[in-house]
Amino acid sequence: MGRLDEATFAAFHARTSRPLRAYVLRVVGNVSDADDIVQEAFLRMLRADVPADNEEHLRRYLYRVASNLIVDRWRRSRHEEGEEMMPEPASPRPRYEDDAAVAKIFAELKPRDRALLWLAYVEGESHEEIASSLGVGRRGVKVMLFRARRRLRDLLQARGLLVNS
Amino acid sequence: MTEWFDLDQDEERAVAAFMTRVAELRIPDPGSRIPDPAELWCKATLLRRWEAERRAQRPLDIMQPIEIAGGLVAAGLLLYWSLPYLL
Repeated sequence: MGRLDEATFAAFHARTSRPLRAYVLRVVGNVSDADDIVQEAFLRMLRADVPADNEEHLRRYLYRVASNLIVDRWRRSRHEEGEEMMPEPASPRPRYEDDAAVAKIFAELKPRDRALLWLAYVEGESHEEIASSLGVGRRGVKVMLFRARRRLRDLLQARGLLVNS
Repeated sequence: MTEWFDLDQDEERAVAAFMTRVAELRIPDPGSRIPDPAELWCKATLLRRWEAERRAQRPLDIMQPIEIAGGLVAAGLLLYWSLPYLL
């Protein structure tokens, strides 16, 4: 199995750093934390000496490390705050076109839900791929993803952005 | 994403549309603080080297107190056995 050399890593970094940063930033919701996590994820991947023959395998490894770092950070901040963060009360009918309102609604979900929804809808990953990216079981992903979608649906419903037929 | 873990069609469409909007949100400052690949490569190489040094050093660190303890015990025994001749 081939090892990653510097040139291959540079090309891999050019292809993956922006989408990875977008993913981490949307899940973490903070630029400085997101940049720290992205950097740490790349460093851990390099130190782990992952075989470089399969770029998809490398990418998945990188996302798994980043996802674990996100969860660690979330647990730490929750522990420091002493209690689970409660979502802010819903503001009345934010406009769908408003970036800040969209970001705010998404931020009200738990980090794990945000990660699941991002990987499923934005990255277009299958259940197997999400399971591999997050380091969880495939069956667990189905259930967790369903719950995440249901929670997002509830948030949209609460703001009148979804009308039941 | 089918089977019984599904929302109804309208809900699914709304969730998908919302996620499309989330994906379109502007990402602030693309340059930011992520070091370039050469810098990351360099850092990782240094960290790997330090880890290798620490691994190589570990048995020596473990053996050192054992050697000192062994030396003290040997010295003590030697003193004990030679005590009758010294007195």
